[in-house]
Formats: sequence, C-alpha cells, structure tokens
Amino acid sequence: MTMADLCREAFRSLEANKGRSLLTILGIVIGIAAVIAMTSLIGGVRNGLISGMGLNAARIIYIGSGYPLDDDDLKDLERVIPDYEGIEGTIDGYAQVRIGDKTINCGITGATPSFLEMTGASTKIAEGRAYTQGESESNSRVALIGRNGVEAFFGSPGAEAVGQSIRLNDKNYTVLGIVDDGMAGTEYCNVYMPKSTVQRDFAQGRDGLSGIVGLTREGADIESVQAETIAQIGKLKNIPDEELETMVSAWSMKSSIDQLDTFMMSFQLIMGAVAGISLLVGGIGIMNMMLTNVTERIREIGVRRALGARGRDITMQFLTESAALCVTGGIIGTIAGYLVAWGLAFAAGAFGLDMGTVTGMGGSAAALTPAIEPTAIALAVGISILIGLVFGYYPARRAAKLDPVECLRYQ
Amino acid sequence: MNILSIEHLTRVYGTGETAVTALDDVSFTVEAGEFIAIIGSSGSGKSTLMHLMGGVDRPTSGTVKLQGQDIFARSDEQLAVFRRREVGLIYQFYNLIPVLDVVENMTLPVLMDGRAVNEQRLSALVRALGLSGREHCLPNQLSGGQQQRVAIGRALMNAPSVVLADEPTGNLDSKNSAEIMGLLRASNKRFKQTLIVITHDEDVALMADRVISIEDGRIVRDERRA
Repeated sequence: MTMADLCREAFRSLEANKGRSLLTILGIVIGIAAVIAMTSLIGGVRNGLISGMGLNAARIIYIGSGYPLDDDDLKDLERVIPDYEGIEGTIDGYAQVRIGDKTINCGITGATPSFLEMTGASTKIAEGRAYTQGESESNSRVALIGRNGVEAFFGSPGAEAVGQSIRLNDKNYTVLGIVDDGMAGTEYCNVYMPKSTVQRDFAQGRDGLSGIVGLTREGADIESVQAETIAQIGKLKNIPDEELETMVSAWSMKSSIDQLDTFMMSFQLIMGAVAGISLLVGGIGIMNMMLTNVTERIREIGVRRALGARGRDITMQFLTESAALCVTGGIIGTIAGYLVAWGLAFAAGAFGLDMGTVTGMGGSAAALTPAIEPTAIALAVGISILIGLVFGYYPARRAAKLDPVECLRYQ
Repeated sequence: MNILSIEHLTRVYGTGETAVTALDDVSFTVEAGEFIAIIGSSGSGKSTLMHLMGGVDRPTSGTVKLQGQDIFARSDEQLAVFRRREVGLIYQFYNLIPVLDVVENMTLPVLMDGRAVNEQRLSALVRALGLSGREHCLPNQLSGGQQQRVAIGRALMNAPSVVLADEPTGNLDSKNSAEIMGLLRASNKRFKQTLIVITHDEDVALMADRVISIEDGRIVRDERRA
C-alpha cells in the first residue's frame, strides 16, 4: 500500500465519523490556534519595532562628541577600528517657512545616500525615490520630505508632491520622494537633502558633523566597538581622560533589542507552556478516540490480517489515521489562529492602539500587522503530526497485537 | 497431485483447566482442483480448521503443507505474504471494509502486496460477478448477495491456488446461495482452483466432489462422491 492509499483511507475513515472526529481534534485546534495567534502577534510587534528602527538597527552605533568631528576624523576612525563597515555623519540645518498664515519648522538633515541606506531611511521612502550619488555630489537642490510635509507644503495629505518644489530660504528644492517617518501635524517637517547641499545652503560652510552613525560588521561585538570608539575619539581629538566620559558618547539599540528579544522569549515560553498543556490534553483525547476506534473495528482488523496485512501494516494504518486527524486539527488551528490574530490586531486598531502605543516606544504610527511566518505554519503542522504519532502509537500497537482469529470471532 | 496436506493438526485454545481442544489430530490431503465441503455442527472445529489452512492461525501441533512446503515454517511476515498470494478467504458475513468501494475492496490484497492491479483481471471479475455499474458503490449500498460477490472477487483477485470459504451462503436466501455457489463452482472448474467450503447447507454439500464431516474436532467421515 502506498502512502497515498493509506492517507486516502485514513481520511475516509475519519469522515465516516465526522462529528466525533471534529470534537476530538478541538483540543489540537485550540492549542495550535493559540500558538499561531500569539506568535504572529508577537512577530508583528517585533517586525513593527525593527522596521521602525531600520533594518540594520542592531548593528548601528550612534556617536556623539562634544569636540566636533569632520569627515576626515570619521575616515581615521574607520581605519583604526576595522569592525566598522562604514561611519557616516550628517550636517544638519534648520529653516522656517511661512505658507499663508501657517509656519512650518523644517529640520533639515544633510545626508549622503549611503547614510540613508545605513539608517534604513531609504526603505521608508513610500513615493518617489532617494537622491543618487551623482545628485548628492553635485550639490543638487533636491529633497525628500516627511509624509506630513505633503499636507504642510501642498495643502492636503493627498496632494501630488513628488516632482513639485518647496521653497526654503528663498531657494527652490525639487521633492524627489516622500518618507514615511511617522511624524504628524503640520508645524514640523523632516527634510532630507544631500549633505553638501545643506553644508552650502544652511550651514554656512561648516563641516562639523551632527548625527554620526557607524555601521558595524555582521557579528561584531557591539559593546567593545562602542568602548573602542570612545577611546579612539579621545586619542584623535586629544581629549583629556577626565572629560572623555562626558564629552564623547557611543550608544546602540542592541541592548534594547536584546531586552525586547528576552522579553519576547519569556512571553513565548509562557505561551508555549499553555499551548503545550492544551496540546497534551488534545493528544490524550486523540488517544482515547483511537482506542475506541480500534475496539469498534476489531472485525475489520481481523479481516485485514486474514487478507494478508502484517502487524506493522495495521500499525501504519492506525498511525496514519491519528496523524491525519491531528494534521486536520493543526490546519484548522493555524487558520483559526491567524483569524484570531487579525481580529485582535483589527480590534486594537479600532481602539486607537497602534505600533507606537503598543510598544510604548513611540515612532511609527503604522497599524499592527500580524506576521505570517512559513516556519510557524510548518512548525504547527509538524507538531500536530508528532502528536498524532505519539498519541496514536499505543492504540495502533494495540490493534496490531490483536490475535486475528479472536478479531474475526468478535461480534 | 496433492496441493494441500494436513498432517496431525491439533489446535488447543487456552491453557490448564480452561483449555479447549478445537481440533484434534486431523489429517487429510487435498488434490489440486478438488471441491471439498466440510460439514459439521457449530463448535465442531470447522472454522479453526479453515483458519489454520489459510495461515491466519498457528496450530498447537501438526502441519499444513502447501505443495509440500510447511506453511508454518514461515515467519509471521512471510505467513502474511502467503495469505495475500496463495489463499483466498470468503466469510459468511462478507467482511468488506466499510469505507472502501467495490473495486477498492476487491483490490485490497493486491495493494497490500505493493503490486499494480491487473486491470484486465479486475474488469473480467467485475463482469463475471455481475457487479458492472456498481464499481464505486460502498458496501452499505449493496445487497447481501452483492456484498458476497465482492468478497468472492476479493478472494479471487490474486488468482490464489486455494479458495477457502466459511459458510459463504450462510447469510443468503436460496436464490442468492445458488448463484454464489454457482460462481465459486465455475471458478473452481475453469481455473482448476482448489475450493474448500465449510457449510451447514445440504444443497451446498451435494455440489462438492468430496464431503468431510467433522465432529468434536475430529474427522468422522470422508466421502468422495462420484
């Protein structure tokens, strides 16, 4: 008998007892649904946070220095600390724009395209595009504006902004793209421009860097790179040791992300324990039903043996049946779990909870999106097959050990 | 030529005081192509004999030899393969698998053996058994006579050398009984298949070449009819 034959037969036997089969798998359905709902919600929260912080969040070190650093200093740093893949700084500016009776305060960040890449800002460009290396080097008057800037500059949130220009300090800047930066309101707006453009137009030629960000190599020990960075800046700028701690800083989100992961891990452990109990109870239900099944079909077992089924053919038959039962439960549970997760996310949205409030970390105002992970689905199905095999084994062995002649005599 | 030889076959169920000797030192030989009726009252050991000849049960002592080979010298696994290939079993209560349709029930022993179904043989059997058009009915959609035809089809599907039938007509009316026996007889004649039928029914016994009577686990009469 092929596996396909076995499965077909198994599902037919279960169908013959539809009501009982469905009631029996309820435990598995609930257990799997709970696991899927929780993991997809947690995954959604985590994805939301990580994307809010940028793709490389865990590898980035933010550097602050009371002694101004310029691009040459960064090059020196990169050279002496090989754990950095790159270090980039921004030159920031500020402009106030009056449109009608409204005032818009613009925080201007002068950044190279690679800085935008590194910090993940480029992945948040929802419309249009980032400026190119060429546009950046030629000091072009181009800009990216925050989502709320569309309404602030062009009157309505739906206005066509890409390709239009904004006027800052009597000069026109072409809007190339819209960044979903999570800002709201029309009083303040983030503007990104090429670094050299900002240096020329808004910083009177200053070359002191504001936001300095270093991207460490994959697998680097963030904490030791942080310490090394502070020490090297101290050397570079001849900062006295007693000033170093207050004047120079290097921090990363790694510890926050680690904390978040630890929190989620413990949450998942608790959920896992709850689901485990539910699945255990479900599994015992399966065993119970399979035992009843074996007793009810004693004659059939006898006939199969008489027709030439070996003990292990009978074992396989009943194991397939209990696995089929559990997989059905697992699939229903997975679907139910995702429905519950979406329902909860939707309800949370309706009550005004978004990623910002859920995580308590502010930032993105995006709605919570449950994560549908193929690994979670594979795990759910795998676990249900395992439950089917574990709890189906005893009944199946019992069926296989029955004496064929006794079975045939059974009325 | 002897196809089956049953030598000093004894089967005791249980042990000690509750021991029951179902079959007591039974010996006889069966020629290839013979049609034997085994008669006896209930509890006389007929079914035990049939299960031993079919390799479903193992004897307490004695042997069953098929073409000179002791079938109980085989391991349980090999004995299962023997049952699939060498014998066809037919029961009083049809014993079809309720969730399988006519064709699936008939081909079950072939599929168990992991072999491809001989479609030609299958359709010839379906036609001969008068089951055309009912190939995909489930057992509970068939009459008793039709279910027994399916069981016969299942027993014959592997072209076994020996067909064993335990009261095949015990649950059928006289018209269906005659038809079922006719089918078995025809297969016996046409394919020189050895047919051993356990029965209560005088009419069935009258069709056989040879009638063996069993009482209390022993052969009391063995008559060859002309």
